[in-house]
Amino acid sequence: MRAIVGSARRANIATALLLLVVLPPLTSHAMPKLVEQHNWLLLDRGIAAAVAAMSLNLLLGYAGQISLGHAGLLGVGAFTAGNLITRMHLPMLLATAVAIVVSAAIALVIGVPALRLRGLYLAIATVLFALAMQYSVFPSHAVSSGSAGVAVPRLLWGHSYLTDNAVFASICFVLFIGAWVIDDNIVRTRVGRAFRVIKENEAVAQSFGVDVVRYKLMAFVVSGAMAGLAGAMYGQTIGHVDSATFDLMSWSLPLVIMVIVGGMGHRLAVVIAAFFFMILPDALGSLHAISPIIGSALLMMTIARHPEGMADLLTIRRRPAAVSDDDDASVPALPDLPLPPASLRSGVVPQPRGNNALLEVENVTVRFGGLTAVDHASLEVPAGQIVGLIGPNGAGKSTLFNAVSGLVRTESGIVRFRGEPIQDLRSDQRARLGIARSFQQVGLAMDLSVRDNLLLAQHQLASYGDTAAVLMLPGVAERESELRQRADVAIEALGFADAADKPVKFMSGGQQRIVEIACLLLTAPDLVMLDEPSAGMAPGVAENLAARLRELRDALGRTVLLIEHNVPLVMDTCDYVYVLDAGRIIASGTPAEITADQRVVEAYFGAAPDAPPPVARRTRKTVGAPS
Amino acid sequence: MQTIVLGLIAGVIYALIAVGITLVYKCSRVLNFAQAEIGTLALYWTWWLSGDHHLPWAVGALASIVFAVAVGLLFERFFIRPIATAPRVTLAVATIGLLALLASVEAALFIGSIKQLPNPINAGGFTVAGVVVGPSQMLALVVVAAVALALGAFLRFTDFGLGVLASADDPVAAQLMGVSRAKVSAFTWGVAGALSAIAALLNEPTVGALAPGVFAGLFIGGLTAALVGGLSSLPGAFAGGILVGLIEAEIKAHLVFASMPDLQYVAMLLMVLLVLLVRPQGVLGRAAA
Repeated sequence: MRAIVGSARRANIATALLLLVVLPPLTSHAMPKLVEQHNWLLLDRGIAAAVAAMSLNLLLGYAGQISLGHAGLLGVGAFTAGNLITRMHLPMLLATAVAIVVSAAIALVIGVPALRLRGLYLAIATVLFALAMQYSVFPSHAVSSGSAGVAVPRLLWGHSYLTDNAVFASICFVLFIGAWVIDDNIVRTRVGRAFRVIKENEAVAQSFGVDVVRYKLMAFVVSGAMAGLAGAMYGQTIGHVDSATFDLMSWSLPLVIMVIVGGMGHRLAVVIAAFFFMILPDALGSLHAISPIIGSALLMMTIARHPEGMADLLTIRRRPAAVSDDDDASVPALPDLPLPPASLRSGVVPQPRGNNALLEVENVTVRFGGLTAVDHASLEVPAGQIVGLIGPNGAGKSTLFNAVSGLVRTESGIVRFRGEPIQDLRSDQRARLGIARSFQQVGLAMDLSVRDNLLLAQHQLASYGDTAAVLMLPGVAERESELRQRADVAIEALGFADAADKPVKFMSGGQQRIVEIACLLLTAPDLVMLDEPSAGMAPGVAENLAARLRELRDALGRTVLLIEHNVPLVMDTCDYVYVLDAGRIIASGTPAEITADQRVVEAYFGAAPDAPPPVARRTRKTVGAPS
Repeated sequence: MQTIVLGLIAGVIYALIAVGITLVYKCSRVLNFAQAEIGTLALYWTWWLSGDHHLPWAVGALASIVFAVAVGLLFERFFIRPIATAPRVTLAVATIGLLALLASVEAALFIGSIKQLPNPINAGGFTVAGVVVGPSQMLALVVVAAVALALGAFLRFTDFGLGVLASADDPVAAQLMGVSRAKVSAFTWGVAGALSAIAALLNEPTVGALAPGVFAGLFIGGLTAALVGGLSSLPGAFAGGILVGLIEAEIKAHLVFASMPDLQYVAMLLMVLLVLLVRPQGVLGRAAA
């Protein structure tokens, strides 16, 4: 099945290549009157714009990093190509290749501050980058003869130049298809999934083991490479560039318009939009000046009325009504999930057995400003046991979880996992060691489908390199299909086959919780940390949860650390229980000892011993809310 | 010394743009990329009325300000308010749309034609200790000082102004105290429009002409100034404007190379990166808790 899909894809690419490469010169020579040279030139410009728009779409539409500096990156490509061809007499394709590398390198330099600058600040930094390039760097003597710019001739080799715009269109189409295929490879593999989860929620990305820094930089580099290609192509199309060619109004803003009006993240729609806006001024004839007015008006309308862009109007998607939380029948039982096959588990250390502690927390303190959320807390989670962490609201349970999983910095104390201190590791590094956690507020990528979340969960199991993924080297497709099969098994087991491709945000709270736990279990982590798993679940499902937790321990040999307000569930499943109050561990012991402990009763109910039993809470708090 | 005066004049004009950006950002989370462009398009009214039809400069200037306020209010009403809760980047992209729209309208109507505006006042300048201060520069200093004082007094001493300040500090709390968010938002956009027009009017004599794109420096300088001010306080934005104006003037006077022109833009990029990475709360801001 997978092989057939793969070969069909290759056949599609080959057909497209053949058609797009052969047709233009054929048409141009057989019927020179049909399409004039001028219109071939227009087509060449359209292709360059399409690649440029794909470049911004990758960065903004997939990874959620805005750039208003793409005019600068395109310019880097064009000026690099122009200088190499005119000064060093390099053939155009070689010059284009160098231009791609140089633009990618410059994009990496922009990406470094982007690690600290989010959203708006990135927009400002990139707009200033584009202006500095336009006004200072491009007119400088180093890259052009002042405002006269630089020629970008289409030098084939030696002294032979390409003048036929139709043949040049063929070359552009080949390069365009190359960029398209790379873009498609990214979308189909863990790289694209990492981009999309970073766009949505960086904390969730890290909990899935995604190295946010690495993938952000990668998005910049790939986007920069595509921008360099587009710039070099555009330069060769028009033959001569100067600093005014790449100003904010002629590239940076139109690209934003193309990507947003087309529909962020929808490659085909963005490419169509790019062609449309590139050809529009010509189509309007003497009214060409209103073309940018139409574009900017469409951008404003899109933002205010149709944030999904043209793509949303074209594909009529069925939007299921959000299922309400008390629709208990739709919350399935926890499924049996397959363990990762050996091929996906390379590098995963087998779990130690016996009585040694898997996780040790020693004297950990976490402070937020003046507030001490966790105060010299110590606990131990022996391998192969279920350990409960209970305590009243605001006791610091989730903060302690965050300290263990790496979402907050500990002020003092040591966190050991398999005996190794981990408190200085990043959260995604801890996830890769085998610590998986759920969130009190569901830690899923809400805009992504159930299937994508299940694939995302297996990020660290995908044992192919990111470069291999981008180039779709042999083996990547096989690994990827293994991941998909496991996701399919999970979907089947959850009974979510009908909803597998719907965004998670349309599911009920209980369903989301189940998907989240399934995501954790798919990675076969050594330590499973669950933050109020039964919140939002129907009572029957919560009972099923208890059985599953025991099975996780007994049949699969996992270790579980559990925050829970559902006291019967805790007493039913846990081997050992810690009680946290006001940041301190006030008691610990077996469930029986804890129930008898007067301090615990007081912490929960105050002094009155006859207070009603605690009820499972259904509220959720925000976790790592993005601004 | 002359350089410092030039920098100061440019700086207070940047400050007007920066104050407009900061006021809107604090109250409605919108970073307005079109802040300078609103005034630039509005300036064509001054050219049309005062230049073409020979009405007094003040009449044309008033028309420009009214137009700019109208643009601010209309944009806020029809494009910002419907998506008031959208992420900041989305809101900013809407203003990028406005920037592109205004710039392309200018280009469509006036590309290739350079308009001359009459001088705001026809008085002689004066010379203090060898430093020449022209009449329009004097006007700029006086007008900016007056606008800053008036705005400051309005915000501090009227109930509505205090509501705006409260809204800037904590929009939710202000709303709970009965401050109408819609009114505050509309007010800030109106003020931003007026500030934009005033800045463009005062900037024009320095540039000496009106044509599409000539005020790019106003946008960049104002944006940099707002960032240097930390996007958080109006005095910070003002200080940022003066700082950016002075640095720019020094570079224009002393760091001019034919081989690499317009280094002030490189300097502004570096300033912004420095501020954002080292001191994101701005020169006068307090660190967030």
